[in-house]
Amino acid sequence: MRTAYKVLAYLVAGEVAVQAMLIVWGIAGLGKWVNDGGVFDKAVIESEGTPPFPEVVGIIVHGINGLFVIPGLTLLLLIVSFFTKVRGAIKWAVVVFVLVVAQGQLGELGHDLPLAGALHGLNALALFGAAIYAGRRLRAVAAVGVVQPDARAATPVS
Amino acid sequence: MTGHSCRRPTKAGVSIDSGWVLRVALPVVATLSIVVPLAWLWQASRVPSVYSVMDMGYHDYGVGATADTSSGEHAGHMQGDTPGQQMAPPPLVTDMVADPARPADVRVDLVARQQTLTVGGRSISGFTVNGTSPGPQIRARQGQLIEVRLRNESVRDGVTLHWHGVDVPNAMDGVAGVTQNAVPVGGGFTYRFVADQAGSYWYHSHQVSNPQVAGGLFGSLVVTPKAGIAQQVDVSAVAHTYGGVRTINGKAEDLRVPAQPGQRVLVRVANTDNGPMKVWTSGSYRLVAVDGTEVHRPTDISGRSVMLTAGGRADLEVKVAGDGGAARMQLSKATAVIVGAPGGDAPAPPQPSDELDLLSYGSPAPLGFDPAHPTRRFEYRIGRRPGFVKGRPGLWWSINGHLFPNVPMYVVRQGDVVAMHITNRSSEVHPMHLHGHHEVVLARNGVAATGSPWWVDSLNVLPGETYDIAFVANNPGIWMDHCHNLKHAAQGMIAHLMYEGFDTPYRIAGPAENQPE
Repeated sequence: MRTAYKVLAYLVAGEVAVQAMLIVWGIAGLGKWVNDGGVFDKAVIESEGTPPFPEVVGIIVHGINGLFVIPGLTLLLLIVSFFTKVRGAIKWAVVVFVLVVAQGQLGELGHDLPLAGALHGLNALALFGAAIYAGRRLRAVAAVGVVQPDARAATPVS
Repeated sequence: MTGHSCRRPTKAGVSIDSGWVLRVALPVVATLSIVVPLAWLWQASRVPSVYSVMDMGYHDYGVGATADTSSGEHAGHMQGDTPGQQMAPPPLVTDMVADPARPADVRVDLVARQQTLTVGGRSISGFTVNGTSPGPQIRARQGQLIEVRLRNESVRDGVTLHWHGVDVPNAMDGVAGVTQNAVPVGGGFTYRFVADQAGSYWYHSHQVSNPQVAGGLFGSLVVTPKAGIAQQVDVSAVAHTYGGVRTINGKAEDLRVPAQPGQRVLVRVANTDNGPMKVWTSGSYRLVAVDGTEVHRPTDISGRSVMLTAGGRADLEVKVAGDGGAARMQLSKATAVIVGAPGGDAPAPPQPSDELDLLSYGSPAPLGFDPAHPTRRFEYRIGRRPGFVKGRPGLWWSINGHLFPNVPMYVVRQGDVVAMHITNRSSEVHPMHLHGHHEVVLARNGVAATGSPWWVDSLNVLPGETYDIAFVANNPGIWMDHCHNLKHAAQGMIAHLMYEGFDTPYRIAGPAENQPE
């Protein structure tokens, strides 16, 4: 369970990095397409079929990752945390979960309130840090092996 | 997780039993407290393989504005009981047809095909009507009876035709699974209705409508007034985006309209896409009709654009200058209509930052009913929240807090004056479209309309906006009231308006594979 916890936490962090890459890739593709004479508006956003520029895939996958994959991983992390028997594991899984929920809300809100989009970018860093920290805490515990009473006491409580 | 279960510290005063509770039971209970509600929500969101729209969600009888003062007369509105109608079989949507004995004045045969389109040099898999997309324009004079015989040659999912903006009899509304079965390959359906409202409309499939409309299964419908039009040139500009390629009347190029100096030109702009589109011109122009209804005493507009919502129509009048030049009308930045001497051109006008406000455009005129004393008031509150729709997790559109299919069925009686308060609490724009009726905008964000009566069938509701609209329930049947961003409709943003006691013999899904959205 600890290994699962660790893997899930690092997967969440990795996904955040992937999300950052995907969205900038998509926006850069959009910029190039506009430079080449493309006109981007709601009609194009909502159009079906072949995308006007290939980097649209980045924006689409960002949406799928953010809506399904990351919340799914986070929910699994939370469930696994109940069984790790490591002090603080649940707390950090909850922190990651709350940051993921906030990230989704800020991302959605950013469609109408661009400033929320800026916070979406900032919150991504907090989420990345929290997920890495959650995983690293478990690594420290795992190195000690089975949790002894004194080992538990040595686990950082923060 | 059980291998070292005995190694847990047992502090003084903590028994073995409570240790077991801490080690095993609590984590399991915590897990179940997450998994069980999710499983329940998932299960509850599933829809049967065949169902009637009559069984969707819950009936909303609205609030009778007069019920609190004269409870006796209107009590039935609140209860949904229909005394006196218990014995008779319910009227059906199929009963609502045009006079079958009356011969047709305009007869059109339309053949729907699934095929590859070439648009702007790109091949796109799509649909045609009589071999082209858009399909042929149907033109009629006000008061004529239009008869359209639809045949499906090769559209695998089946087709229907919905007459967007025309208040047709319910059986002719073309909604698969509500007013008819989808027409299978080799099948046909005959639509008959009297074109008693002059104006600009369009027709499109309402079976698997998002891919079919996006792929080109639509065309325009123009009903000219009995007295004729005031302009010398009458032209339609149907804007559509095929797989990212912007077009007017199916061509990925500007539309050139030859006209003599001094002539007035009527450009009927239709937005057949899923998103709003702005329209503006190089000189001044007038907005003479919105969604098929004339604006009362329109004035000259310059330096402002007109917002044309998805599914909406705007009829603009431009006058050709006497100097032999041309006027240019931008349909967004992407395409333009150039009106004037052949070969003439005008530089693309910059996009105005200001938008025409239809709340105060034109002059007031009688509405024909009194919206100040509605017999019913409804809420149509649009939101977005996580949950399950048809067993799929996601971030879904909600109507009055509920996700599809648990959405309201707005119930009215014939003759009701209906007021609806529309609120958009989501972060995206929604083009709201009510079938079979025209609604008048009374106020936006609490600011009352002061201009010409602003009649719509497609209303652009931006995030955070509220609209107060009203209409007269004068077209019995069961009608969709949905978002015309057809992707959103496919995601469950669909409610219905029904007249008390009505029923439909058709089913969603089932053998006919009806899938209206």
